[in-house]
Amino acid sequence: MLPLLRVEWLKIRRYKAFLILSIFYALGVFILNYIVYSVFDNMVKNSQAGALIDQFNPFAFDHVWQTVSYASGYLLLMPALLMLLLVTNEYTYRTNRQNIIDGWSRAQSIQVKWMLALLFSIISTALVMIVGFLFGSLSGSDFSWDGFSHIGYFFLKSVSYLMLAILLGVWLKRTGIAIGVFFLYLGGENILAQILDVFSLKIKQQYKTDLGSLGDYLPMNASDGLLTFPENPLKSMAEASLPTQYSGVSIACAIIYLALFLFLSDRTIRKKDL
Amino acid sequence: MLEFHQLSKKYGRIEALKQVSFSVPKGTVFGILGPNGSGKTTLLGILMDVLKANAGSCTLNGNPVGPAERRKMGAFLETPNFYHYLSAEENLRIAAEIKQRGSQDIERVLHQVGLHARKDTPFSTYSLGMKQRLAIASALLGDPEILVLDEPTNGLDPVGIAEIRELILQLASTGKTILLASHLLDEVERVCDHVAILKYGTLIASGSVNSILPSGDIIELASENKDLLSKILSDFPGMVHLEAEGDFLLMQLATEENDLAVINRFCFERNIILSRLALRKKSLEKTFLELTHQS
Repeated sequence: MLPLLRVEWLKIRRYKAFLILSIFYALGVFILNYIVYSVFDNMVKNSQAGALIDQFNPFAFDHVWQTVSYASGYLLLMPALLMLLLVTNEYTYRTNRQNIIDGWSRAQSIQVKWMLALLFSIISTALVMIVGFLFGSLSGSDFSWDGFSHIGYFFLKSVSYLMLAILLGVWLKRTGIAIGVFFLYLGGENILAQILDVFSLKIKQQYKTDLGSLGDYLPMNASDGLLTFPENPLKSMAEASLPTQYSGVSIACAIIYLALFLFLSDRTIRKKDL
Repeated sequence: MLEFHQLSKKYGRIEALKQVSFSVPKGTVFGILGPNGSGKTTLLGILMDVLKANAGSCTLNGNPVGPAERRKMGAFLETPNFYHYLSAEENLRIAAEIKQRGSQDIERVLHQVGLHARKDTPFSTYSLGMKQRLAIASALLGDPEILVLDEPTNGLDPVGIAEIRELILQLASTGKTILLASHLLDEVERVCDHVAILKYGTLIASGSVNSILPSGDIIELASENKDLLSKILSDFPGMVHLEAEGDFLLMQLATEENDLAVINRFCFERNIILSRLALRKKSLEKTFLELTHQS
């Protein structure tokens, strides 16, 4: 396994897009959370309702893990973009063929991309953990592991995004098309999820049946839905009428979709001409 | 020994290979000859697992060709495939890692193809010929037992072509098995000792160059008295064909061995002094066209 990753490292270490996207992503996670943090800080200090808002601080421990996981989740588009580039580059340069000619099995050539996706996810999850700890400490609250499971949800979301990127890469092969389809798909799925959510609201009201938020059963929304902004006074009011969040079902969905992405990308690589 | 068993490959409705079987004996320089679109690249692509055959298999010494077997081969198929933003040396390091060979070999192969001076510049700045050389260098990494080369002189200048042919001959002399696909007949004639001929995905013939493409040599003769020469040659034992071509007479014998000394003595004893006596190789191209035309 390590020799495979060493080859992958040789490929990316001088790749400018890798260096640039990594730096932007790492800085982005800090900056985005800092923006949310300072906006909130300003609200508390300057608004009339400051005292009321201050009772709920999203960056205080037991909320901070959820807040940073949710906010940083939006930036996962960057590593996903990088993954798309790394996979489609192999087709553009036809180096996917050369790797096989030189002695990798087809299975190894896809497994190494999965490992890279896992490694990226581990590193970005660690980064989010550090940022969470940092802002949690800045908020002046006492350290707590409560809500730490959101860091796990972030990891799941990261792996889902990157594995989808790999699948689209091996299916579409062309960099531009793959990136276009990836973003169109995310947008399309979100629209569909909204429609399904309205539908689930109707079901709840008319039939008194709570199936949960149906949009969250879609591939990317399953892991997206796990990451939400923390409970707050405003959200709690709306919550009562909304379908329940079944995080267990969402996790199961996300994992099933993930397995499907792995299965399909593996099969494509094994069966197709390169 | 490298063997192809009943290989078939379809691209949609087009049959690129039709049950092709032949074997490549160890230590031979084996040419795969055929016009464009005859299935040469498809055949080598299947061997190296970048293409999937619809039926059939490839074996090396009786074992199916898998990753371990491919690591013992060096191959250059169709186009040089490298990471554009990496230098020659960095690209070769990746290939060496995958082949599970040390990187100490990189310097040697770069010298061998004359790219050592440019080893640190990015691949994207290379000329076509340099890219081609780098691909050959990559195939030579780890001193493989078997070399698979698909049109290796494509895009090279005449000096480059000569150098690559020289390199192939030199490698062949060290006992390596070389599988060379080419549509250039003279290339195959110059470097190969065995040949397989493909046409529209069908194997027309395979075996040693001499048996597949018999020389059918022609003897060129000339003398002051052409008519007299023609008259006595018609009595030469084993003569099958005699014709005039300009000032020369062209004679074909039934046997493969053409001993010019015997012919010289034969004429001399009959008081004919030859002003020309030479062996003219029947053009391989003519033989090839005859072969592919028949089927």
